[in-house]
Amino acid sequence: MSEKNLTETRETRNELVATLASSRIVRLLRHLLIHGGPVIALLLLGLYLQSATPYFWTESNLVNVARRTSVLVIFAVGQTFVILTGGIDLSVGATAALAASVSAVTMTQQVNVFGIKFGPVGFVEGLVIALLVGTGAGLVNGLLITRGRIPDFIATLGTLEAFRGVALLTTNGLPVPSYYTDAPKARNYLPSEVIALGSNDWLGIPIAAWIGLAVALASWIILKYTAFGRSTFAVGGNREAARVSGIKIERTKIGVYVVSAITAALAGFVLMGRLNSANALMASQENLNSIASVVIGGTNLFGGEGGVFGSIIGALTIGVIGNGLNLLNVTDFYQRIIQGSIIVGVVIFDQWRRRRFGA
Amino acid sequence: MATGSPLLQMERIDKTFPGVHALDHVDFDLYPGEVHILLGENGAGKSTLMKILSGSLEADSGRILIEGAEVRHNNPDRAAKLGVGMVYQEFSLVPTLTVAENICLGDMPRNRAGLIRWGEVYRRAQDILATLGVDINVRAQTSSLSVAEQQLTEIARILAQEPRILLLDEPTSALSDTEVDRLFDIIRRLQERGVGIIYISHRLDEVPRIGTRVTVMRDGRVVGTLPVAEADKNTLISMMVGRRLAEQYPKTVSQPGPPVLRVENLTAEPVLHDLSFEVRAGEILGIFGLMGAGQTHLAHVLFGLEPMTSGQVYIDDEPVTIRHPTGAIRRRMGLLLRDRQASLVPVQGLGPNITLPKVSQRALLGLLNLRSETQIASQYIADLSIRPPQVRRPVKFLSGGNQQKVCLARWLATGARILIVDEPTRGIDVGAKAEVFGLLDRLASSQNVGIILISSEMPEILAMADRILVMRQGRFTAEYAYGEATQELLLKSAS
Repeated sequence: MSEKNLTETRETRNELVATLASSRIVRLLRHLLIHGGPVIALLLLGLYLQSATPYFWTESNLVNVARRTSVLVIFAVGQTFVILTGGIDLSVGATAALAASVSAVTMTQQVNVFGIKFGPVGFVEGLVIALLVGTGAGLVNGLLITRGRIPDFIATLGTLEAFRGVALLTTNGLPVPSYYTDAPKARNYLPSEVIALGSNDWLGIPIAAWIGLAVALASWIILKYTAFGRSTFAVGGNREAARVSGIKIERTKIGVYVVSAITAALAGFVLMGRLNSANALMASQENLNSIASVVIGGTNLFGGEGGVFGSIIGALTIGVIGNGLNLLNVTDFYQRIIQGSIIVGVVIFDQWRRRRFGA
Repeated sequence: MATGSPLLQMERIDKTFPGVHALDHVDFDLYPGEVHILLGENGAGKSTLMKILSGSLEADSGRILIEGAEVRHNNPDRAAKLGVGMVYQEFSLVPTLTVAENICLGDMPRNRAGLIRWGEVYRRAQDILATLGVDINVRAQTSSLSVAEQQLTEIARILAQEPRILLLDEPTSALSDTEVDRLFDIIRRLQERGVGIIYISHRLDEVPRIGTRVTVMRDGRVVGTLPVAEADKNTLISMMVGRRLAEQYPKTVSQPGPPVLRVENLTAEPVLHDLSFEVRAGEILGIFGLMGAGQTHLAHVLFGLEPMTSGQVYIDDEPVTIRHPTGAIRRRMGLLLRDRQASLVPVQGLGPNITLPKVSQRALLGLLNLRSETQIASQYIADLSIRPPQVRRPVKFLSGGNQQKVCLARWLATGARILIVDEPTRGIDVGAKAEVFGLLDRLASSQNVGIILISSEMPEILAMADRILVMRQGRFTAEYAYGEATQELLLKSAS
């Protein structure tokens, strides 16, 4: 073909593409394709598993996936706030273990805090204690980063170790409830509501999943409709611009770490219900999995773009991969390799998409 | 000077970005030994064209020929090997490395064992800087240099590669007059050696000083190419904006009201010393100074970005202490930063960017009204004719002039009564400049806003300011009323 013809063909093609692109349906599809990458990946994964194993697409298995993934969803939603500001919270797993341990101990024995003796307490008090411990942990992270002026990564790396240590002290290194304790008024069971939270269903769906959904919804509202949410995006999108516009950077930073730690504490509490036990080393994979969920969900690791919806999809993707590989009888060693590869692969695709479409 | 066969031919270069036809079959050529000036408003396509030449972007169609040979599959490496050197507007220096390391980066002299010969690195860097006639310590860390010195280092870095085609993207925007003179000397020397130079600029007065030919671009098309002799300022302006700008500096001289801002003995060690002045409602107070005289620092101190050592600020005759921008905004002050990149959230749309200072005044869990946010954004898009008029478009895709309008819209939205603008026309084109000035004039004359205009562009400060304070080394050295000052007087007071 001569060059002139080639150019003309190109022009005709470009016009055609332009006409097509302007139609509403194509625009919608294009939008989905560009922004819906994580959803599409999850759907493809589901379709593949359905064809590969007869057990995946069954009600009992899906409920199982939902139950197992809910805890990760709660973690990931909190982590989303932190990553949106361009930070990273490595201490979520430790925070969860600490909150669950402290509340488990107070729910199963009498404790002595500065001479005030109380307990064993009930479900509601236990939950409140867990959330208070979470708030405290978040404040510690936030203050270290803002007042101590150290990088987020270092601060939470330090507290990750320290929180685990406090949790070990609290539990004496034993699972709670424990048969080996000689603490006063000790019980060897958790309140039944705690276990219900982690193990029972409501309307055929695990209560843990309802909690995950509620946390995600509340977070979505906070991010989209409140000044705090907007500040979170602004701080991550351009810290300097946020400062000049009067946004209080420190307050926002502390805020996101408190949110992350409270959700981590809640996740730990739910996990304790599912395991029917708490211990200082629980939720050890959740640090990295929560970060992976957020990133798979399309939130920019450098902050400023993304949201909780993507993080839910990211957490579900990780959950489905794990479940699918189990169903396919892939051993844990291979599972780790495959999971790692998929995480990196999804992010490579996401980066390519951003460059290609400037989205 | 421009003789023989062309060094570079770019033929029917076409490039489309999502939603924008950035280059529409553009032709461009360059002869050895000529300075071909490329003019155009922001978003006209100059930078895109240059990025295609230097290989960092790929054209959708069209051909590039260097000395008659077609360049296929261009990339930055190949372009550099073919002798294309580009000095970008944004520096590409590594701030933590030394000047010499930056200059030799990518081509470090090595010995047989493959180890770097540091003596040679410093010597080579020293030599190149010497030909530029600048005195910069080659062992200094780059981040410790002034902006002008960084700019010169950047130029030295490119010259070290001995390019045959040199692209300069607004090289003078950070340079003082003497430094500009020196740069022009270097350019002339390169011309004599047969290097072809493509020079992108916003400063029309540079055209006759250095150019051989001028090409004007608008909306991704070439409007025309002229020899410099035929390119007078008005012709160029009308080619650039598609209309003749009778009024480049719209100015209403009016009677200012009572002082809105009064500053007494403001000192901020070690930069500012004992500054006292006032700004009246409806007045544009110009502050002129050479680079580094402390004007920007003053703006930051007033806005609570930098601490004040001593002194007192009054707003509406009421003593105030501002420690954080939040306080400044609450007292209806606004600040347009010198650096636009530092004031916008690039990935967010116009709405969130415009309302950011309003949002910062809300309680943490205060609810936002997204509908009114969209309304506000649409209103300012219409009022300030922001292009393209899309509320949701991330501001990083806007041109410099339009970004500046978004920054201004911010302070219109908060209803600022005191507005500090620091180099508001830095790096924006003629058309947008006139619009920005028109807006400042309207704010002062009809809305009684007190404006502090910080600028090192003498024509604009002379034309726009009701009163000019000249600053040198953190002190005021002179004050002129409207019409009193001249460029010579300003320079004399400033240096």
